[in-house]
Amino acid sequence: MKETERRSIAEALILASPEPIPVARLAKLLPRCTPAKARALVDELNADYVAQQRSFEIQEVAGGYQVRTHPEFASYLQQLQRTRPLRLSNAALETLAIVAYRQPVTRAEVEHVRGVDAGPVMRNLLERKLVKIAGHRDVPGRPMLYATTKRFLELLGLASLEALPTLRDLEELTPADAPPASQGSGQNDSGEAPAQLSLQDVDIAGKPN
Amino acid sequence: MSASGQSLEANPVVPDPFAPYSVRLPVFEGPLDLLLHLIRLDEVEITDIPIARIGEQYLEYLGLMRDLDLDVVGEYLVMAATLAWIKSRMLLPVEQTNEDGEEVDPRAELIARLLEYQRFKEVAAALGERDRLDRDVFAGRAPIAGSPAELEREVEVGLFDLVEAYRRVLEARRDIRPLPHEIETEEITIRERMLEVMGILETRNSADFEALMQEGHERRHSKSLLVATFLAILELARLSVIRVYQSLDSLGVPEGPIHLRRTAEGGDGSWVDRIADLM
Repeated sequence: MKETERRSIAEALILASPEPIPVARLAKLLPRCTPAKARALVDELNADYVAQQRSFEIQEVAGGYQVRTHPEFASYLQQLQRTRPLRLSNAALETLAIVAYRQPVTRAEVEHVRGVDAGPVMRNLLERKLVKIAGHRDVPGRPMLYATTKRFLELLGLASLEALPTLRDLEELTPADAPPASQGSGQNDSGEAPAQLSLQDVDIAGKPN
Repeated sequence: MSASGQSLEANPVVPDPFAPYSVRLPVFEGPLDLLLHLIRLDEVEITDIPIARIGEQYLEYLGLMRDLDLDVVGEYLVMAATLAWIKSRMLLPVEQTNEDGEEVDPRAELIARLLEYQRFKEVAAALGERDRLDRDVFAGRAPIAGSPAELEREVEVGLFDLVEAYRRVLEARRDIRPLPHEIETEEITIRERMLEVMGILETRNSADFEALMQEGHERRHSKSLLVATFLAILELARLSVIRVYQSLDSLGVPEGPIHLRRTAEGGDGSWVDRIADLM
C-alpha cells in the first residue's frame, strides 16, 4: 500500500468518526500500522493542511483525534448552528477549574475555595454534562464526589486532564505576562489596578510557613 | 474617619456620588472575590493585607449593596465577622503562638484562602479564553448512518423540560391578552385538544411541541388554547399513546426542539376509546 493511500485512509477515519478517535483505534483500523506510525501520519496530514492553508487541522482532544476548524471562521460557522453556543459564567468557569484540578472533589470543598454556595452552579454543570458524579467520599454523610467529563475536555479542546495548565505553569506565566511594575509612578495612572500576584507571593502560598 | 469616605470616592464602583441612581456595582462572585477586588484597588499585597482598612471598605460595600436592595447573602456576612475577628485578634497585645512557640499571624488562614482563590480565578480565566467547541471551533464529526450514535440521537423528555418548553411558548406569546370586552363563549376542552393533537400525529410521524401548541385551531390567540393544549399533551403522555422526545446534540446532550410521536399503542386506533373513556 502506498504511503499516501494510508494517509488518506487515516484522514477519512478521523473525519468521519462520530467522536474523537483514539490513536490506538486508528492504528488498528489502518492496515499494518502502529500507534507511533499513526501519530506520524496525523503530523503529516497537519503539515499538509498548513502548507495548503486549509481551514482546519487535526487536534488531539479528549484522548482522540478530531478534525477542527480554525477559530477565524467561527462567525460563519455559528450561522449554521441551530442552538446558541454554550455560555459559561465566571462562576461556572471557576467551579469547573476547581473540580478539574481537585477531582474527585466534594461540593463543600468547592464551596470552601470559592467562599459561596456551589449548589446551583454544580447542578448546572451536571445538567450540561461537564461534570459528573464520581461516587461518594467514605466519611460521615457520604458526600458526593464530582469529577469533570469527557465532554469538558471536548468543549475546551483539551487532549486530557494532563493538558490542563498546571498551577506551576501559571506561576511561571504571571511575571512574564504582567506589565513591568509601575512602582511609584505618577498619580494620574489610568485608574487600572496593576497589582498582580508576584512569583514570590505564589511560592509563599504554596508552602505556608 | 475620613479614610472611609475617601476610599469610596476613589473607588470606581461609585462613579459619581451625587448620582445615586446611576450607581453600578460590578458583580462579585462572593466575599473572597470582593476582598480581592478591594485589595487590588488599594494596591496592597495579599500577603500583608491591612485588615482594618480593607475590613472597613468591605463593610461599606455591604452597606452599598443593602442600599441598592441587593441581597447581602449570608456568605458575605460570615466574611464580615471573620474580618472583625481577625482585627480584634491583631489588636490584642498578647502575641499568638502555636504549639512550637512560633508567632502566628491571625490573618494567615484568610491569606491562604485568598491566594488559593486567586489562583483558581486565574486558571478559570485561562480556561475561559480557550477556543470553545461549537463557538470558536467546529468539529468534523460526520455521523455514520446506522451507527449507535445515530440511532440514539434522542431522549425522552421529562416533565420539567416540558414545563420549561411551555414557559418558553408563553414567554414568546406575551402579547396574548384577552380583550376587555371579549366574552369567551367558546370553551376549549382538553379532550378536544387531545383529539386534535392525535389527529395531527395521524398525518405525520412527529410534531414539534412549540408549533403544536398553537396549531390546529382557529382561535390561535387565546391563552386558554395554550393551556388546554399543554394539558392535553400531558394527558396523552400519561395514557402512553404519545411520547415526548428531544434531540441529542453530537455530544449526547439534550438540545433543540422538543417533539411528540405516537407510540405503538397510539397508532392502532384504540386511543380513541381511551380518550372517550375520559369523557
